[in-house]
Amino acid sequence: MTNFSSKILGNSVSAMTAQQALLANSSNNIANVNTPGYTRREIAIQTRSDPATLDGILRIGSGVQLGEVQRLTNKFLEGSLRTASSQQGAALIKNDYLARVENVFNLSGPQMTVGTAMNDFFSSLNEVGVDPSNLDLRLNVLQRGQDLVTVINNTFQEIAAAQDELNYQVGQQVSIINSLTQEIAGLNHIVAQREAVGVSAIDERDQRDVLLNKLSEKISFDILETPNGAINLYLENGFPLVHQSTSRPLEVTTTPSFASGDLPPSLSGGVLSYVVYNFGSETAPSHLDLTSVIKNGEGALGGVLELRGTADTSNTSAYEADGDLVRMAARIEAVTKTLLTSINQVYRGNDEDTTTPGFEPSSADLNGNPPDVFGLFDFDFSGVKDADGDGIATIADLTASGIDSFSSILRMGFSTPDEFAAGRDVDSADGSTAFVGGNGDNAVALADLRTQVFAFDLVQGTFTGTFDELYNSSVSIIGSLKAAAQNEYQVAEANLLSAQTKRDEFSSVSLDEEFANVIKYQKAFQASARMIRTASEIIDTIVSLI
Amino acid sequence: MIRVSENQSVRSLVSQALENKRRLNDLSNQLTSGVKVSKPSDAVDAGAISRYKQQIEKIDSYSSTIAQTMGFLQFQDNIVSQATELIVRAKEIAQQGANETLNETSRAQLAEEVFQIRDQMANLANSTYQGRYVYGGTDDADAPFDQNSYDEPTDGLASVRWVFDGNPGKDGTKSVKVTDTISVNLNTPADELFGTSMEALERLARTLSGYTTLPASGTPDGTGAAYTFPDDFHTQTEDIKATIDLLNTARDVDMIPERVSLGGRLRRLETGEALLELTKNSAREVLSRMQDADETEVAANLQQAQTALQASYSVTAKILRLTILDYV
Repeated sequence: MTNFSSKILGNSVSAMTAQQALLANSSNNIANVNTPGYTRREIAIQTRSDPATLDGILRIGSGVQLGEVQRLTNKFLEGSLRTASSQQGAALIKNDYLARVENVFNLSGPQMTVGTAMNDFFSSLNEVGVDPSNLDLRLNVLQRGQDLVTVINNTFQEIAAAQDELNYQVGQQVSIINSLTQEIAGLNHIVAQREAVGVSAIDERDQRDVLLNKLSEKISFDILETPNGAINLYLENGFPLVHQSTSRPLEVTTTPSFASGDLPPSLSGGVLSYVVYNFGSETAPSHLDLTSVIKNGEGALGGVLELRGTADTSNTSAYEADGDLVRMAARIEAVTKTLLTSINQVYRGNDEDTTTPGFEPSSADLNGNPPDVFGLFDFDFSGVKDADGDGIATIADLTASGIDSFSSILRMGFSTPDEFAAGRDVDSADGSTAFVGGNGDNAVALADLRTQVFAFDLVQGTFTGTFDELYNSSVSIIGSLKAAAQNEYQVAEANLLSAQTKRDEFSSVSLDEEFANVIKYQKAFQASARMIRTASEIIDTIVSLI
Repeated sequence: MIRVSENQSVRSLVSQALENKRRLNDLSNQLTSGVKVSKPSDAVDAGAISRYKQQIEKIDSYSSTIAQTMGFLQFQDNIVSQATELIVRAKEIAQQGANETLNETSRAQLAEEVFQIRDQMANLANSTYQGRYVYGGTDDADAPFDQNSYDEPTDGLASVRWVFDGNPGKDGTKSVKVTDTISVNLNTPADELFGTSMEALERLARTLSGYTTLPASGTPDGTGAAYTFPDDFHTQTEDIKATIDLLNTARDVDMIPERVSLGGRLRRLETGEALLELTKNSAREVLSRMQDADETEVAANLQQAQTALQASYSVTAKILRLTILDYV
């Protein structure tokens, strides 16, 4: 005869164990309700298979048995969460840095901008035309000129400083990425090792997911899970960041092995670094350039590189690099170069004597002295400024100086109001000059340049228009760039929120659910305990028969 | 079954509260600063705002130039009107002097007043405005008419000769831009405006006082001898008559057209100023529409944002307080 009472006892004991395990699991879920990256767990319980009995007629069942602890995670949701983090990482950087640059193009408040300073400068030139020998009006020209120079210096330096900081950020982000990939590779090792011998590595998987989320804020990558539980991470071009239990650390270098000769300068005169992987040794490096692959992706590093710009090693100027900062700086630099060349040329007037070689200016200051080649706007440089010695300030002279950016070294060409050459030669004869203080022809000619159309060389393209038009279009561009970055950031944030919500919906611990389960498990536990008492009563009854 | 976990509701409630708070912050900034566009990214076409601002600043600068220029031209108008009166008076004297019932002594008495008129005319031509010679051309630090002398007589008013200083720049003109496209001439050189008048007055005065002035036409060169009376009495009369023609020329060719021209320039400036004002007002209006915050609208939105923030707080508090633990 089958011993049913022992069956009852056995089943009940198995149930009590199972309910306790379920309760323990719930307690773990509740304990980790606020742990970042924690995915709720479930214990799979199943019926315990009946041992084969001899009579084999009546298979009642042998109770319940515990299965594996499962992480309730959804690969698709985790993936979209990582994509959203990557987007947000890139958008955050762009939004922050463009906000800084946008400040120097402000539209309200007392702060001077290149646009307002330019306007004031031209107005002061027109005003000096009314009374050219008036020292107050001349002083006004000098001061408005100095304001213009200062605001050009500042605007350019603000943009260059943003680029420098982003350049520094590249190194920061790469070192964070390296430590994350190293940790992920380490966890890969543990997961693979444990799971190979059938030990659960559930906590390590949780930790690894947290690290993957952190990594996706920094850089975008593809994931491939291998059968042994390890995950491989690849960049867009197939470069493996993590392969099984090894990670490939990225390097930031300013002396890449693929560059022959010097790298092009950055806006501030430094060098834009490259993100590389070194296949060679430390002493004989062989660099693989990953900069553009990372730049084209998302993540903070992608955002940093995109905004900072990347340069081709064969470039010679900072303005050949890509990136929005470079585009904005090129516009300021174009203004500077036009001031240094076209404006200075007008400032010196026509060649007074075309019959003799060399350029003799037809303008003069209050003391009758002609202005220098870089008489109105000058730049700090210890070498020869008029390289070809033709007495005319040209782009060729600027190029010959070897300086890439003039905006930060621009200054006024004269320092006292009497040195401003407002007048032109009043003697029409060739070669003989006569200057009078009341002549303001030169100032008027300069003031006319406000409405003159120039072809501004932006290195990557040309802008044809007046100074005002160039500035106004720059305001529009920085405005739309910043607005786009802000919009991108808000969209990314919304995407991230919705991805997090979706993930929470599936993987996060719900206290309501856990408590309902707790009550359920508790009742089941109590019921099983009651069954043991019933079995014991049955046995008692049988024993009392004896 | 759609699960809603605590994390999820906390997250979405927090993000909504933050969004409401950000909006509230934006709106209160708009309300306190009065502008809704302070950074280029606040507007779709920030370049247009910058353009209107530049236009207004430029107009302000032109307006101040116009005001200065008008003062200067009005001053000149005053001078030319005085000069015309002097010519009229001189002509009266000349007509009186040409009358042969007057003997040479009476004529010499008339000469006194004409010399006064001549010197007054020279003073007008040498007027200064804010320390600069108005008719000095571009060489405005130096007087346009200098004193020189005649060989004969050697003293007295008749010996004084006013000559135009022909230094470089003296015949130069200055102009100023009063709008992007309109320039206005600021001055007429002294010899153009006063040359004939000075010559006529000097010839008239010298003739009346009994001296010829050579050459017979054109700028006096400092020579000329005394008439011998009574033989030259009729010649003197003819010379006086000749100066009447010169005075007429001075009035009709120099002074009157200059007054017309000044009047025209002043009117042009007034029109220019009115136009600038009009342009400025419309630019201001557009700029205000583009950049300034509509206070009523912002205040209403602010109220709305405040309500929304309060609502999200109260919902957050209510939902977070709910737990199954209170019921089991």
